[in-house]
Amino acid sequence: MTIDLYHMAPSGPCRAVRMVAKIIGVDLNLKNVDLMAGEQNKPEFLKMNPQHCVPTIDDDGFILWESRAIIQYLVNKYAPDSSLYPKDPRQRAVVDRLLYFDMGTLFKAQGEYFYPQVFKGQDPDPEKESNYKTALGYLEGNLEKSSYVAGDKLTLADISIVASLSMMEVLDYKFSSFPKISAWMAKVKEEIPDYKAMNDEPLQGFKAWVKSKKPQ
Amino acid sequence: MNISPIDFYYFPLSAPCRAVDMVAGHLDIPLKKKFVNTWQGEQLKSEFLKLNPTHTVPTINDSGFVLWESRAIITYLADLYGKDDVFYPSNRRKRAVVDRMLYFDMGSLYRAIIDFQIPIMFRGEEPDAGKERVLLEKLAFLEQFLTDYPYVAGENLTVADLSILASVTFLEAIDFTLSSFPKIEAWLQRLRKELPYYQERNQDAIEEGKRMLSERK
Repeated sequence: MTIDLYHMAPSGPCRAVRMVAKIIGVDLNLKNVDLMAGEQNKPEFLKMNPQHCVPTIDDDGFILWESRAIIQYLVNKYAPDSSLYPKDPRQRAVVDRLLYFDMGTLFKAQGEYFYPQVFKGQDPDPEKESNYKTALGYLEGNLEKSSYVAGDKLTLADISIVASLSMMEVLDYKFSSFPKISAWMAKVKEEIPDYKAMNDEPLQGFKAWVKSKKPQ
Repeated sequence: MNISPIDFYYFPLSAPCRAVDMVAGHLDIPLKKKFVNTWQGEQLKSEFLKLNPTHTVPTINDSGFVLWESRAIITYLADLYGKDDVFYPSNRRKRAVVDRMLYFDMGSLYRAIIDFQIPIMFRGEEPDAGKERVLLEKLAFLEQFLTDYPYVAGENLTVADLSILASVTFLEAIDFTLSSFPKIEAWLQRLRKELPYYQERNQDAIEEGKRMLSERK
């Protein structure tokens, strides 16, 4: 059986879902939703997901959105014994903690720094960058203690966070002042099958779009 | 089940702290409450930083296992100490909807509440029309969910209700009215009556927070 994934290729949360599905061997039927053209507000899509966000999946009639809930669901259902989302309550809680950290702290701070630059052509805001670096500092501290963000194995939290941080490649942003993050990102990218096709290609397309919008 | 008391680092007005407190009440988990006055910077003391380098509340210490992020805490408590299969269901689809609502709370609803409320509450600013519009949009999503079901994630009360309940009642601190959201209001009224721990673990904490707020001004 194939699961429909409504997505937009460069979106970090959408890429996270694709990477997890690839690792656990779940086939996705990709359905593009062009957010720039407002396709998420069409009645067919609103009927499925009144919150009109991507990623959204349709698994044999079960509609789900929120990327982190989707990747948890995919592993719970299709790879329940995978170490991507450990069953031990304490190990699982640490993965969950980092998924919430990603959403509420890291990806949030990144978005506040990133979006005004790519969508409004504004100059980088030093205060927003400072908040972003504080969040990155927490992650760096985490990676000083363990080789992956939630322990000594690759988990959903690594994939969600790599999907978030790789967005910054659109701005050629370097994590050079965070050596642990840099090394860990390179390692995780190597471990994910087809990483380039699912991530680098759409991000390069997005980057070209951002450049084309910039006044010469 | 005999559960050893869990250390609970909290600040009363904080919605995520009230959510954890209510979940502990729901599951009859004894808490050893440790007040951290974040308005006085107590979260930056070295003992606390050693526990949680991101210095956030709520934080728990369950016999040496230290955890933060309220929504990770409440699902952990429900997984470990749950009394039934309803509050945080093991059925994969049902669980996914609960998780979805927890992320909705964190990333959409509670975030919009904070963005709107904090400048009014702490800096005495006038309500920002743009931020209010975002908040009303998120409340409208919740209204829609509660039109389809009696609880936020379906037919039964789950951890997601308590997380969202703590978030929405934060608006009481600025006397924000929800009268244009009848489903949300009805759900609030119902929970206030249904939950035996509501008064002590949510309402009293909000009142205490409001008292602290008035002393701060």
